[in-house]
Amino acid sequence: MGRTAPTYRQALEERMKRWDAFARLLTTPEDRAAFELVRTGARRYAAQATYVGSPDLLESILLSVLTDLAGRLRTEAAERTRGLR
Amino acid sequence: MPDGWLLDITESPDGRSVVLWVKDRSNGRVRRTSVDYRPPFLVAGPRAELLRLAERLRRAPTVAGCQPIVGRPSLFDRRPRTVLRVVPAVNSARRTLARAVDALGGYATFTLYDVDLSPPQLYHLEHRLYPFAPVVHGPDRALVATEAAETVEYLPPPLRVARLEVHLAGERRGRIPPPDGRIGMVRLGDRTLDGPEEAVLRALADEIARTEPDVLLTDGGDEFDLPWLYRRAAERGLRPEEFALGREPAPFAPARPARAFTSYGRVLHRAATYPVPGRFHLDRANSFLYDDAELAGLVDAARLSRLSLQTIARQSPGTCFTAMEMAQALAHGVHVPWKKNRPEEFRTGEALVASDRGGVILLPPVGVHDRVEEFDFASLYPHLMVRKNLSAETLDCRCCPASPWRAPGLGYRSCTRRQGLIPRTLEPLLARRLAYKAALRTPGLAPEAARRLRQRIKMLKWILVTAFGYQGYRNARFGRIECHEAINAYARELLAGLLAEAERAGYRVVHGIVDSLWLRPLAPEDPPDPEAFARRASARFDLPLGYEGRYRWIVFLPAVTHGLGVPNRYYGLYERGEFKLRGIGGRRHDTPTFLRRFELEVLSLFEGAADAEGVRARLPRALRRADLFAERLRTGAWPVDELLIAHRIGQAPEAFVTFTDSVAALRQLGEAGARRGAGETVRFAILDRASRSWRARVRAAELLTGEERYDVGAYLELLAREAETLLAPLGVRRADLLARWDGAARPPRAPFRSPEAPGQQALAAGAVGTFSPPTA
Repeated sequence: MGRTAPTYRQALEERMKRWDAFARLLTTPEDRAAFELVRTGARRYAAQATYVGSPDLLESILLSVLTDLAGRLRTEAAERTRGLR
Repeated sequence: MPDGWLLDITESPDGRSVVLWVKDRSNGRVRRTSVDYRPPFLVAGPRAELLRLAERLRRAPTVAGCQPIVGRPSLFDRRPRTVLRVVPAVNSARRTLARAVDALGGYATFTLYDVDLSPPQLYHLEHRLYPFAPVVHGPDRALVATEAAETVEYLPPPLRVARLEVHLAGERRGRIPPPDGRIGMVRLGDRTLDGPEEAVLRALADEIARTEPDVLLTDGGDEFDLPWLYRRAAERGLRPEEFALGREPAPFAPARPARAFTSYGRVLHRAATYPVPGRFHLDRANSFLYDDAELAGLVDAARLSRLSLQTIARQSPGTCFTAMEMAQALAHGVHVPWKKNRPEEFRTGEALVASDRGGVILLPPVGVHDRVEEFDFASLYPHLMVRKNLSAETLDCRCCPASPWRAPGLGYRSCTRRQGLIPRTLEPLLARRLAYKAALRTPGLAPEAARRLRQRIKMLKWILVTAFGYQGYRNARFGRIECHEAINAYARELLAGLLAEAERAGYRVVHGIVDSLWLRPLAPEDPPDPEAFARRASARFDLPLGYEGRYRWIVFLPAVTHGLGVPNRYYGLYERGEFKLRGIGGRRHDTPTFLRRFELEVLSLFEGAADAEGVRARLPRALRRADLFAERLRTGAWPVDELLIAHRIGQAPEAFVTFTDSVAALRQLGEAGARRGAGETVRFAILDRASRSWRARVRAAELLTGEERYDVGAYLELLAREAETLLAPLGVRRADLLARWDGAARPPRAPFRSPEAPGQQALAAGAVGTFSPPTA
């Protein structure tokens, strides 16, 4: 396992190295922090992405990042309503 | 009652027989019997080619016999066919002859079987014997085992064990022995033999002959005691007949030379083995299994695998399992292919990505948690192999196109008509492990018996663990990659199903790894009954899910790189008061003692915590402990031997291209005449981490005087790292600790200008070419 075809986690880390260049040209701390969130999101659902076993790496990464973001949105929305009450 | 026990079978130097060592039950003496035995190997191939080969072999002087027979040598053979049965003139020529036959067939025409099984192994199998079998003398004095090897409850032979320890005159054990060192004293059991060297050696041989130990137990005997004994005996002009450690004279040379090998990505070292025919030499330092399973476990494994105790102790559990498979195969008339000839089939990239996956490994939530319950499947993979009949020859068989067993997502079918070789080998092992576990629960069990059972259980556990991994190993004789994939696919599906089942039962999933699950009740005041859940899940999935226990608290640790949880790094305290530690310092072999001490103090501090809140409340005290450690380190008075760092080196000392602490220590050892090879461990204390000089940077453990001044900054950094590892989920940062302890910033290192590196000078002088580091 992971010798002939890289595991999802290996492939993800490999792809993220390419993203370093993207991060290098982000100029504000806010942008960089946001980008770190995307990275974290990409890593958070590695188990689920492995379980899907999709040949499309980007599909798995996007699912992971989007789920992470959607989760954060929900938490924030919940906090906001709690604050209103 | 048996007449005695068959201890071992060894090869005889004449190459035409094997030696049986039988321990008499009545007087405990061991009798040596030599039996003529030259086992054949088989050659399969096209009939015409075989007959031509037979013609040639009959004329060859290295062949004692050669005849065609009819059989089904391969696991995949459906119909019998003609094969050639070749008996070499001497047993030692088996491989040479086999290689010649293989070459004659252009390495393609012939398939050879049973070549690399040893004559003792084959003798066992052919005569239904096994190591430590209780035996009686049958008609014509032949040995007959009174019970099958698989018997669960048996009386192990009473083995006499003697510790052996060699001391060089004027040297402390564990230091680097001088090349001309002499043996000054030898301990055997509770006897101490000293005096002039030759007298000591002769006295040792006499003492061994008199006390008749079956097992010589050493600590590092393969590396030190035996080679030194034989070396000094040769130096003193003793002949093998005058100085025998075994029950018959043996040449003063290793039976197997030292070698380096890789396992799971690590380079390991195995010392040479010296024969002690008729007895066993067990070296705790050269035995992975002895440490864990001890004698009772090894005896059990020897019985089942038909490998000598001497071999078992030095081999991996994988070798053991392979030998059990071979025994199982031969018992059913299937022979063992010499070279596996089953290449992986071609498939698309998409299929490869889909099939080449492991088990489900979730990311745990970093932090301190309580009310967490743990559930584990016992021996999940072996059980799956048995339940789904997963074996090389049962996958996608031609006889069961409608098999209900299909690997989820991959579609590999398994046979429903014939039980495969792997399940056939595993099933009795699983039953055996269960039987031992059940026996362990017998009320009023003697502590000695309980210990023996636990050792056997451990041994079986290791063997069962490797059974799965070996399916994917390219050289595994009966392995097949699709089988490995199918097991993973079933396991993934199972855990996914279990997650849903757990939620239905009123749990929230905290963490899951392959076959274990950590759950938290949704309603803590009204939690589900964990035992009932385990029973229900076991019944539903037809696999044994066990309830491991509830944690008072458990800490999941983050990765240093990205801060998310690491699946296999956590520590926690069960309600029954037992710790479970994974991936932290104390579990690793290379952790210096002072760090273990720190870890132990933190853990014993947390031991008093009843829940997560209790752990958090103890953080200030844990930090105060860290401060105390730091303070004491800073005085420079910490004993250096507690600061030793161990490194397993992955390559030969000359092969290093960067200058590291290990390289510095290796050079020191090299200068002192103690060369280390790939896979060996080097231990050292850091004296000046910024130094470019190999003499000043570290001090190798063997050369410590106790007067060294260690590098305070380096050790403060290690301490801070360890504290962060343990306490990061509580907000502890390494940098904060270092700032608090002050003055631990890494000093700048001078540019590389070492006069000790001629290679560097050569480069500077323009002699660009191969870099040859200095040899010490």
